[in-house]
Amino acid sequence: MDLVDLIAEKRFIGQEFLTWLWWKSEERGGSVELPGQGDITVVFEKHMLLEYGEGESSEKCICSGLQSELKEARTGLVMGKKLEQARIQVAQNDYEWNFTMAAAVMEFRNVKLPKTGAAQEGGNSPEEIEGLILERIFLFEELVRLVQALFRMFLEVRIGNSWKDELVKIRSWVHTRGQMT
Amino acid sequence: MGFLNGSASFVRFSVEGDLPENFWDFAAERITAFSFKDIDETYDEFSIGWVSVQNMFDSDFKFASYASGDYVTLSLRIDERKVAPAILKKFAQKEEERIKKEKQIPKIGRTMKIEIRERIQSELMKKAAPVPAVYDLCWNLSDSTLLFFTTNRKAHTLLEDLFKETFGLLIAQQIPYYMAERLLDEDDTQRLAAITPDIFV
Repeated sequence: MDLVDLIAEKRFIGQEFLTWLWWKSEERGGSVELPGQGDITVVFEKHMLLEYGEGESSEKCICSGLQSELKEARTGLVMGKKLEQARIQVAQNDYEWNFTMAAAVMEFRNVKLPKTGAAQEGGNSPEEIEGLILERIFLFEELVRLVQALFRMFLEVRIGNSWKDELVKIRSWVHTRGQMT
Repeated sequence: MGFLNGSASFVRFSVEGDLPENFWDFAAERITAFSFKDIDETYDEFSIGWVSVQNMFDSDFKFASYASGDYVTLSLRIDERKVAPAILKKFAQKEEERIKKEKQIPKIGRTMKIEIRERIQSELMKKAAPVPAVYDLCWNLSDSTLLFFTTNRKAHTLLEDLFKETFGLLIAQQIPYYMAERLLDEDDTQRLAAITPDIFV
């Protein structure tokens, strides 16, 4: 199967992951426990894009606003839409990232890296520039590592026996949220 | 804005295949061979190649500036001469009018119209300044993954081709399904292949 067909057939995996992650982040008020690593912060904010259906019959719904005001997005979930894009804040220890995830192809968009001392000091010598490059690589890869850890958590549940129970909880969350709007 | 400063957008690729022995010697030779060639002083319509992530005018890579620890950092630079369709249409029509007057003919035939259009396009193309586009990449050698700092699909395809030509290695975009295959064992991958979309309401 070529990449275009595979993206079309399996785009639901990324979208289900992102929708699951929204529920997971709200389950404990913005905290998600990564196995072996402890709690990290995962907060959905500002901007979301929901999608329903496929191809020409697909519908999209863009919602933006403060976290507490994502009413349209929540209603969209009740209508059976799934998250395709969301602006997310992820934090672990002293580091905080903000980025938009495009779920179907797992693109990281407008990634804002944590502020660090080295980045602010700058410098022009080759050593300082290489240090800066390595630090930015580290920060990009840390974000990827955290998202991968969350994705692995989702996959293990999704293909495991506990998915049915998880789905009941997610459906109940979707309906509770829908009623709040 | 991108890899080196400000906010950035990127996608991940996996790099398939083994690295040759003496990788850094191999890389030095291949990156130079496929470095960017300027077309400002030529009539070429398209040029693609590697430049330094720190400076789009540096395609010599003195002191192996693409090597950062266990990473290769490069920029893919594409210069392309383009003529806007509206400009081409305007100058082609202008030329048709000129020829009609000169030859005292009321109408220009289809074949001649095509000839005029092609000639005008080639003339305009020579005058057009090449439009540059630069996309950064960061290749993690130990993990065989690559971050490419654009979500432009056309640039992804061009990267796949140039990377293969330069290093003889294939890259595959890490869409969720491929990412899952790398995270799961064989049994779990088979389970994943069998799942179908679920309804969340």
